[in-house]
Amino acid sequence: MKFVDEFRDAELGRVLASQIVAAVEPGRHYKVMEVCGGHTHTIYKYGVDDLLPENVELVHGPGCPVCVIPMGRVDDGIAVARQPNVILACFGDMMRVPGGEGTLLEAKAEGADVRMVYSPLDALRIAKENPDRELVFFAVGFETTAPSTALTLMRAKAEGVRNFSVFCNHVTIVPPLRALLQSPDLRLDGFIGPGHVSTVVGARPFEFIPADYAKPIVISGFEPLDLLQSVYMVLQQLAAGRCEVENQYKRVVPYDGNPRALAVLAEVFELRPHFEWRGLGFISHSGLKLSEAYRDFDAELRFDIPGVRVADPKACQCGEVLKGVIKPWECKVFGTACTPERPIGTCMVSSEGACAAYYNYGRFARERAVV
Amino acid sequence: MRVLEAGQNGLCVCVEDDGGARTEVMTDLVGAVGRGDKVLVHAGVAIARLA
Repeated sequence: MKFVDEFRDAELGRVLASQIVAAVEPGRHYKVMEVCGGHTHTIYKYGVDDLLPENVELVHGPGCPVCVIPMGRVDDGIAVARQPNVILACFGDMMRVPGGEGTLLEAKAEGADVRMVYSPLDALRIAKENPDRELVFFAVGFETTAPSTALTLMRAKAEGVRNFSVFCNHVTIVPPLRALLQSPDLRLDGFIGPGHVSTVVGARPFEFIPADYAKPIVISGFEPLDLLQSVYMVLQQLAAGRCEVENQYKRVVPYDGNPRALAVLAEVFELRPHFEWRGLGFISHSGLKLSEAYRDFDAELRFDIPGVRVADPKACQCGEVLKGVIKPWECKVFGTACTPERPIGTCMVSSEGACAAYYNYGRFARERAVV
Repeated sequence: MRVLEAGQNGLCVCVEDDGGARTEVMTDLVGAVGRGDKVLVHAGVAIARLA
């Protein structure tokens, strides 16, 4: 299959792996963060980390949109779903994210009308099919997903669909990266940049990483060879004493992003003063809300939202996993009290979550290595 | 995904390259598409056109 098979070639993978081995300095430990949950998924699914030398460590970042939703926002969604005459639509992953009041799936089992959709457009269709009900779309995601919500809102406005609103939890990727770089907990040598977010925003917003923090970043595609090549490119920069933004995913990512998408985002959204991230706390200008022009579609203005902040369960260490401070298997409840079937933390819910990816693909390999 | 049917009003019908379900996709961000074009789709919107 074009764009897939050529990036999963095992022989080319072995060549890249040997080039990576040749590029590392013996005795030096390299920590490279892959920002995006999609990358984490590929790394574990294809065993990319098994091809790396022991002194090259991949650290998982905060780029899983479901994982960073704080419990209080889940409870807010449940509260909306329980209101009379409401249909709450959300992506499938979101239904299983635990809040303090349970999950949206449990709310559905208790009688709330919660429906899984593949896109905001599906949610708009449900709204049009149910003109006597209020349809609320629980919007999550980074700049990759936000354009879909924005375009759907533009359609709803143009078509005069009044029973459609959005509970907006969209976030942006640059502020948490800056927060991580300022964190004393974490020493990183470089970054694998998020490919699909960059399709929308481009590579330019990441220039602060080399400019302000003297770290290299390589925007990467999502196939195993993309990731191996991106690791190699980061290591080459480090070996040469360079730090810059490089784009490995040129077949998809223009350096300046998608101007139409950026225009749509600017019309429909504006930055919140601050937004809470699971594990990272409140980060300034990191969340989106609907702009004044779309305030009539803002579920937070249309419904009573509790807005109560809920602390994570003490046993859960998703925060440390999301910051790359610990690996999934180092969490106290990983694979025992917390599994994909009965998740305690968000990282065990989504396929892009580091814990779920590692649980599904990596744990047996690690058990073999330990034996 | 591959475009099966280019529709009107910024919409088209796409299918995964290996078959699978047909999906309605918004094409506002990539401009006009034609049957057989390949697009990168995220949450129901084509965010990039693949060469």
